[in-house]
Amino acid sequence: MAGLLRHVERWYSIPLLLLVWQAAVSSGLVESRLLPGLGRVAAALIDDTRNGILPYHTAVTLARAAAGFALAALVGVPFAAAMARSALFRNLFEPIFFFGYPVPKIALFPVFTYVFGIGSPSKIAFAFLECLYPIVVTAYLGFRAVPIRLLWSAENMGAPRLTIVGRVIVPAAMPGIFNGLRIALPIAIVVIVLTEMIGDSRGLGYYIAISGTRFEFANVYAAILVIGACGFVLDRGLLRLRRAVVHWERDAGAR
Amino acid sequence: MRIPAAAQHWIVPIVVVAAWEGFGRVGIMPRYLPPPTLILGALYEVAADGELARAVATSLYRVALGFVLGTGAGTLVGLGAGTVPGIRHFFDPLVSFLYAVPKIAFLPVFLLLFGLGHESKIALIAFSCFFPVFIASRHAVLAVDKHLIWTAHNMGAARAATFFRVIVPAAAPQLFVGARIGLAHAFILLFAAELMGARGGIGPLISEGEDAGRFDLMFAGIVTFAVLGFLGDRILMAVRGLVLRGQMIGTLEQAVR
Repeated sequence: MAGLLRHVERWYSIPLLLLVWQAAVSSGLVESRLLPGLGRVAAALIDDTRNGILPYHTAVTLARAAAGFALAALVGVPFAAAMARSALFRNLFEPIFFFGYPVPKIALFPVFTYVFGIGSPSKIAFAFLECLYPIVVTAYLGFRAVPIRLLWSAENMGAPRLTIVGRVIVPAAMPGIFNGLRIALPIAIVVIVLTEMIGDSRGLGYYIAISGTRFEFANVYAAILVIGACGFVLDRGLLRLRRAVVHWERDAGAR
Repeated sequence: MRIPAAAQHWIVPIVVVAAWEGFGRVGIMPRYLPPPTLILGALYEVAADGELARAVATSLYRVALGFVLGTGAGTLVGLGAGTVPGIRHFFDPLVSFLYAVPKIAFLPVFLLLFGLGHESKIALIAFSCFFPVFIASRHAVLAVDKHLIWTAHNMGAARAATFFRVIVPAAAPQLFVGARIGLAHAFILLFAAELMGARGGIGPLISEGEDAGRFDLMFAGIVTFAVLGFLGDRILMAVRGLVLRGQMIGTLEQAVR
């Protein structure tokens, strides 16, 4: 009973807000065109899921986000490792990542559309760039933070270089790597949706933009719900993966 | 031959810019990548006739106001959520759901609510800043060393004094972390909102240059935007250094500087 009460205390605000929303719509206080009732949002969600429109656009968006994210992870983590281990590499590329970090890279998107075309490639490339920065910077700090004593111990016990990299350096840097991935994952989704809104004929961003111009706000909210759910599920998935990989660090990623 | 570390920092940028300029001069580069000297010329062109200053002023107005409103609200509510469990329980589920949603998705709603002018962009930027700032502030308060709070209580400090003299200063470094993420969000939202329909500002400068086939003008806008974002971050960091100057003593950051 106390557990139930605690759950109510923790989660009541979402149903409460939905109730206020529905009450505001039903009472006619707000223009219902702008704020469609929950029933209409649910209907839009169900209709467009049944006829396959929402699943299609969701699949497009997720595939693009996954491609950009995966590319950034595959390139970024080894790159960060190289930067952490080699002074020359670090001196060459550190300024680009640390000075480039606060630069709003979104400004380059028009150029990307010229270089890669307006379809998927420019969006994936742009998500790659946006994800690369947090992944490289965070993983780099993770690799730099590997305790030197661990390396000395390993060397002392006669471990070959490759074993040290695989069994000491990479595991010790793993929490940092996962921090970067966790920052980058929502960025990938945001960037894909955003660029789809700027210009495309597929994806959830396009779906939102086109529904907005048609004043079909129930569909806008339905798409927002889908994006929120995807982001939530993916973040939880990444946390589970982290807990499985970094199993020795109990609950560090729980919050 | 050994190149000093400081010089190595410049190798990649210089090689890239030089190659860009060189290939551009020879005519190998595509038309949409004009050589850097042409971009500088276009920058001078828009700066000379005052167009650049107007665009920068408009964009700065939007992003600064949106950032201040969103960060202010996020900090206040976040501090409240960190201190009062009731506030925390109300906002936590809402924020954890909305955080993953790109705030730009609300653009159609904000356009209809606030119109096509400055207000919709400012509101959207503020909305977007709120979330990272809220999360950072909330965590910052909860992470304050309990011994500090107990000590203050023990010495008879009132609740208000504990909050303002102990909790807020102890949380301040994390508040700046949140504000920094918020600022990055603000510039992304500014660009997207301006590109998707706005009068005045740097976004339209970029899209007009693009539409007219004047890619040097487009790049002039892009460079201006990137510089603004970079400077904004530097200014925030400078403010942070000023506010936290007492707390920085003896840390690695100060030692590095």
